[in-house]
Amino acid sequence: MSAEKTSPRIPAIQLCYVRLAVSQPQAAATFATEILGLEHVPNKLEPFLYRSDSRFHTLCLSTAAAKSSIGIEINDEADLDRAAEALASAGLPAREATVDECAQRFVRRALIVADATGNEIDLVLRPAQSGRRYFPSRDAGVTGLQSVALRSRAINDDLKLWTILGARVTDRAGEVTYLGIDQKHHRVVLYPSDRAGLVYVSYGVESMDAVMQSNYFVQERQIKIVQGPGREPASGQIFLRFAGPEGYVFSYGYGLRDIEPSHRPRQFTADASSLCEWGSECTDVTELQPARAG
Amino acid sequence: MIELRDLSYVRMGTSNLEEAESFATKCLGLQIGEQSGKALYLRSDDRAHTLCYFEGDPADQTVGFEVEDETRLNAAAATLDQLGHSVHAGTPTECALRKVKAFIGFKDPTGNQIELVVRPERSGKRYFASRDAGITGFSHVGLHTTDPARDEEFWTQVCNARVSDRIGDIALMRVNAIHHTIALAPGRGPGIHHVNHQVESNDDVLRSYYHLSGRRVPIVFGPGRHPTSGARFLYFQGPDGMVFEYSVGVDEIEDEETHRPRQFGFEPSSLCMWGAKSARPR
Repeated sequence: MSAEKTSPRIPAIQLCYVRLAVSQPQAAATFATEILGLEHVPNKLEPFLYRSDSRFHTLCLSTAAAKSSIGIEINDEADLDRAAEALASAGLPAREATVDECAQRFVRRALIVADATGNEIDLVLRPAQSGRRYFPSRDAGVTGLQSVALRSRAINDDLKLWTILGARVTDRAGEVTYLGIDQKHHRVVLYPSDRAGLVYVSYGVESMDAVMQSNYFVQERQIKIVQGPGREPASGQIFLRFAGPEGYVFSYGYGLRDIEPSHRPRQFTADASSLCEWGSECTDVTELQPARAG
Repeated sequence: MIELRDLSYVRMGTSNLEEAESFATKCLGLQIGEQSGKALYLRSDDRAHTLCYFEGDPADQTVGFEVEDETRLNAAAATLDQLGHSVHAGTPTECALRKVKAFIGFKDPTGNQIELVVRPERSGKRYFASRDAGITGFSHVGLHTTDPARDEEFWTQVCNARVSDRIGDIALMRVNAIHHTIALAPGRGPGIHHVNHQVESNDDVLRSYYHLSGRRVPIVFGPGRHPTSGARFLYFQGPDGMVFEYSVGVDEIEDEETHRPRQFGFEPSSLCMWGAKSARPR
């Protein structure tokens, strides 16, 4: 048995970016800087590109994309090829991104694959990092892209892809499934749904103060709060989820726990208190309601 | 100088004792210490009571402070008498109603009813809350003032209070290490502006926000954070319009000798650094 095959290394390194398919980029762009507070990245390829941390970009608003996608960095070329093979044998064929597609994603190489539900996921190599430090558009205290929540028609089927990438289930609340790929409690959350798509995109912020300040900041601007301020019992994070452009939901999170090596996935009840221990409820997004989560 | 050691209790009249009881236990989350026909004694910590509702006029509100002993109580009475405050010495029956050994009553310059008490009772039984609000104890009061500068002088010159910070001309004053025990608030006449209980954690403040909202309790300010004391807070309205506050994380003034009061502007961000706006009518 070769050392390669027994390598314990997890192929997935990090969640790198979200590409949002939008039809009205200007309004979404205003939201990205004035509300989310991200930094616009001037470049020749993507007019609506944004930073949230030391990475070259973590958000791209795309009018060309048919559907939204997320980028997951893979350890190295060998891991990427192995992942591609494993995905193909699991019935999830990956397509090699073209040179142009890689350029638009600011990565050296990418495989484009979809989970069983149909969520598009880019498996990328060497995503671009920026030499200059992050300079936010407003003082929202953003520390970086933190996690994404995906809709899932069949959690177990969708888990196949994540298992191949080395992600592990860290906790479940009802059927809501938290997936970790690094030391953090989760980077991806799967919510039971009847369709594909993003439930929310979450940016980490530096403090509870930052979450609460944004709570009042968005309210004053008549932006709908989808859920929160709240606190997720499984991950410990304080969150605020609010409506973005074109039906997308964004979230600020603070206090996402690290996961201990000895951690075993816990099953939380399918109650509202398993999704928010403070008592906030969501009335607009069915995936975020306990009835659906169960 | 009158040496206030700590806050002891609040006494408030109410037109509807049943309603007050329901609010105090189901919303505020205090423990009933003792209940007689005309009065309800509520606990928030290891003291026998820190809040008393009695059948009477809701405008009849009193704040009790503890002083060291009867010698100092008598000295305080003499000081107040000299300054022209009318001082009432508590009768044994009145002392029993307050669960104290001795007390005197007087009015501060605005007309707030103040009592100085000696040996307020503690309870041997530990505090057991009526609901899981996380209350750790009665902590401070807001008092109306019709003249902030005059009242600050009374509390700091006649009594031993020290100014921790000011918002505009409004002083937040301490009598021990806790950032403030008395907060002055501009008002048209005497009365308690708010009654504060400390809770265990940020989580408790936010849990209560949703719990009380669900019970249709008017939230008048918050959830928020005071830049002065650093406390996370929630203000909500109880019976007879009285406002209660939960807060957590009140700073302690560590260096009594060198602390200098900070001056905050009289503007909303001085009251809440998160951006919450008070819905209270002025």
